[in-house]
Amino acid sequence: MSGPTETKHTEVAVVGAGPAGLSAALAAAQAGVQVTLIDTYRQPGGQYYRQPAAELETLHPDSHQREGKDLWSKASGAGIELLAQTTVWGAFEGNQLALYGPESPPSLQAQAIILATGAYERIAAFPGWTLPGVMTTGAAQTLLKEQRILPGRRVVLAGTGPLQMVVAAGLVQAGAEVVAVLEGSRPLRKVLRRPWDFVTALWGQWSRMSEGLSSQLTLRRARVPFHTGWGVIAAHGQGEVTEVTIAQLDDEWRPIAATSRRVACDTLCCNYGFIPATELARLLGADCEWRPAHGVFVPVRDEDLATSAPGVYTVGDGAGVGGGPLALIEGQIAGLAAAAQVKANGSDGGDTTSIREQMVGLRAALRRERRFQKLYAGLFTPGPGVDELAELDTIVCRCEEVTREEISEAVRLGADTLDAVKALTRCGMGNCQGRVCGSLVAAAVAQEIGHPRAEVGQFRVRPPIFPIPLAALKPVDDEAASILQGGGIAR
Amino acid sequence: MTKSRKMEAPVVIVGAGIVGGAIAYYLTQRGLKPVVLEKSAIGAEASARSAGGVRAQCRDRLERLLAMASIKLWEGLEAELDFDMEYVQGGNIRLAASEERLAGLAAEAQEELADGLVVEMWDRDELRRRAPYLSYMFIGAKYCATDGVANPILSTWAFAVAARRAGASILTHTEAIGVETQGGHVTSVLARGRDGEFAIETPLLIHAGGAYTPQLGQTLGIHIPVEPARNFIGVTQRVPPFFTEFVSSHDMRIYFRPARAGHVHVGGVLVTANTLDRSVPAEGLAHLSRIGLMAPALGNTNFLRAWAGTLAMTPDRLPIIGPVEGIRGYLLAAGFSGHGFCLGPIVGKLLSEWVVDGESSMALDELSLSRFA
Repeated sequence: MSGPTETKHTEVAVVGAGPAGLSAALAAAQAGVQVTLIDTYRQPGGQYYRQPAAELETLHPDSHQREGKDLWSKASGAGIELLAQTTVWGAFEGNQLALYGPESPPSLQAQAIILATGAYERIAAFPGWTLPGVMTTGAAQTLLKEQRILPGRRVVLAGTGPLQMVVAAGLVQAGAEVVAVLEGSRPLRKVLRRPWDFVTALWGQWSRMSEGLSSQLTLRRARVPFHTGWGVIAAHGQGEVTEVTIAQLDDEWRPIAATSRRVACDTLCCNYGFIPATELARLLGADCEWRPAHGVFVPVRDEDLATSAPGVYTVGDGAGVGGGPLALIEGQIAGLAAAAQVKANGSDGGDTTSIREQMVGLRAALRRERRFQKLYAGLFTPGPGVDELAELDTIVCRCEEVTREEISEAVRLGADTLDAVKALTRCGMGNCQGRVCGSLVAAAVAQEIGHPRAEVGQFRVRPPIFPIPLAALKPVDDEAASILQGGGIAR
Repeated sequence: MTKSRKMEAPVVIVGAGIVGGAIAYYLTQRGLKPVVLEKSAIGAEASARSAGGVRAQCRDRLERLLAMASIKLWEGLEAELDFDMEYVQGGNIRLAASEERLAGLAAEAQEELADGLVVEMWDRDELRRRAPYLSYMFIGAKYCATDGVANPILSTWAFAVAARRAGASILTHTEAIGVETQGGHVTSVLARGRDGEFAIETPLLIHAGGAYTPQLGQTLGIHIPVEPARNFIGVTQRVPPFFTEFVSSHDMRIYFRPARAGHVHVGGVLVTANTLDRSVPAEGLAHLSRIGLMAPALGNTNFLRAWAGTLAMTPDRLPIIGPVEGIRGYLLAAGFSGHGFCLGPIVGKLLSEWVVDGESSMALDELSLSRFA
C-alpha cells in the first residue's frame, strides 16, 4: 500500500472547507496554531462557494465563487494544510479522525476538532420521487455551478426557501425553461403579520437582499410563474419524469385536493430545507437536541460553539442551518476558541487575552445573524403535510427499496423504536446510510407509533459513516503477512 | 410515577432474544401463555447482532448434539412460524492454514462422524475445486453441508411475533429488577417499565438475559459466572453472489458469510473481554479488512456498516441451562458464549418440555449451574 501509514498529529483539525470551515481554519491559523483542513472535494469551498471544475475555470465565476476563492487564498497564505479529496469516515477515542484520501494519512489526531460538515437537503417522499429527472435543488445547483451542465430543459422547482429562486434564476440564465417555482410557505403573509420583526432581522442583510432581488428580477423578466402556498404532490412518467401533479397547500402544507393539476416538465428540483450533518459530532460523543422550529436535531453548544464532547466544536450549517454569513462568523468564533484552548494547554505561557478580546465583537455579529436565522426558519420550515405525501407503495428508503407500507407493517409486528423499524425493514441500511431517508423514515415511524418526532430520535450512528474501501484499512499487526509467507502457499 | 398493577403468569421469561423468544413460543405450543420481559426492544441485543451462523460442526460435544437437534428444527421453522428468516443451508467451511490446524480438524471430524454429523475433510485440491474464491494461503478445510446461516434480526423477531400471535405477552422496554421467593420457591417477579414498577405473580421464572443475567441472580444470592465481552461485525456493500458458505479461519481470526441482499458480513474470531461497550474500535475494522486476504475478490469492495454486540461468556464457554439448585421455580438459559443463536430453538423446545412434562427429551444436567460449584 502506498501513501503515509501513520497517525498524523495536529493542533486544530477542521472538517469541511465551506464558509464555516474556511473561516474557522483561517481564524485559528491567524491566532498562531497549526491547522489541518480536511475536505471531501478536489477544491475547497463547499456547496456555498462551489467552484467550477478545474477544466472550466476560465468561464466567468459568480460572486460566491469569487468570494470563496479569496477566502481560500487567504487561508492557504496563513499556512493551513489542506487534505483534499479526503473522507473522514470515523471518529474514535482521543479526538482521532479516521481518514481516507489519496494524499492523506489514515488517521489524524487533534487537540481540538472543528466540525464544519454542512447540511443535507431535506426531501419529501411523494409518489414518483425516485423517478430519474427528479433531483434535489442542490444537485441541480452543483451541475450548474461546477460542471456547467443543465439538468434538463423544462424544469419545475418545488419546496421552500430562497435557494429555489437562486437556482431557478441560474437555470433561466443558462437557457432552461423554468415552468414554475412553487414555494410551499406563504412568506408574505407571515411578514405582514409581524412586519417589525422582519425589518429588524433584515437590517444589515444587504447582500442577501440584493441577491434575492436579482434572482427575482431574472425570474420576472423570463415570466417564470412563482406561486407561494403551492407544492408538488406526485411525479409521473415511464422511466423518467414527464409530468408532475401540483396542488395548493394549506397552512400545515397539506394539499387541497380540488386545486391539483398536472404540469408537463422533464426535470423536477425539490428542496424542503436542510438537515445538519451531525454524524461526526455524534460519533465524537456530542449531545444533540431537537429544534422544533427547524424540525431537526442539532448539537448542543456553549458560547464558544463547543459541543458537550471535550475539544470538539461545531459550526455552520452542520450545527443548525443558518446560511453562509452566519457560518463565516461561527467559524471565526470557534477558530479563535480552539486556538485559545490549544494555547492555554501549551507550554508557551498560555496567554489568550487578545484572542478572547477578538471574540467579543464577533458575538454581536453572531446575535444579528441568529435573528436572521430565526426569521428564516419561521418563514421556510415545512409543515407536517410534507411528510404525509407517501402512498402505501411509495418507496421511502431508496437504497434498500423499502416502501411506506413496509414501515407500517414493521410497526404492526411490534417494532416500537426507529432502530427496530430499521432492523426489520432494512431502511437506512443502504449506501446512503440513512442520510437521504433518515428523516423520512423517522417521520413515518412517528406517525405510526404516535410518538412525537423528538422522541423517535435519529438512526444510531456508527463508523464507517461513509463506505470505506477495505484496501484503505491496514490490519493491526503483521500476523496475516506472516501466514501468507509461511507454509501453506501453493505454488 | 408508580402504577400498581397486578399481573399473573404461569411462566415469566426474562429476555426476548432468540432463546427467550423460542422458550415463549414453544410454551405457547404446549398451551401456556407466558409473559416475557425485555429490557430494550425486540431484536436490539446479542441475538440480532450475531453473525447468524446455524452450525453443528466445530463444537464441544454437548453443544454438537444440541446443535444437530436444533438444525432439525431450523429446517422447518420458516413454515412453522410463517416468517421469512432468510435461512439457508449453504454449508460451513472451517479453514486450515497449517498442517497442525488441519490435523486438529481431521481429529474433530472423526468425533463428529461418530455422532452422526456428516462432515468432509478437504485437501488443498478439493478446497480449490469447491471454494475457488478462497486464497491460496489455506491448505485444507473441514466442511459441513447441512450447516448454514439465517438472518439474526428476522429470526429473533420470528419467534417473538409467533409467540405473541399464540398468546404470549412480550413487554418491551421493561426490565426485571427483582424476584420474590417464599420457602425457597419463586412467587413473583418485579419489573420496571415505562409506566413504572409492577409485580407479576408466577411460580416459574426462566432467565435468558444474555450478558445481563448475573445482576438478577445476585438479588437471589446466586453467583452466575457470566461475563460480558464485545465482538463486532462489518458489512460490505452488495456484491454479485459468488458463494453460499459460512467461512471461518482461526489462523486469520476472521469469519465471513453472505447475506441474501448481496452484502457480506465479516466478523473477528476475537473478543474484548469484560466490557459492555458496544462501540466499534478503529483497530477492529482494520482487523476485519483481512477478509481481502482470505477472499481476494472482496479486496476491492467497501465496508458499509459495522456494529458491535455483547456476548455472554462462561468460564468453560458452554451455556448454563436448566433449574438452579436451592431455588425452585428458577431456571437459567444463559451464558451461550457467542454460540447461542443456532441453539435457541432447541433450548426453547427442551425447556418447554421441562416445564410441561417435568423433564426434557435430551438431558441438560451437564449444563446446569451446579457444574461450577
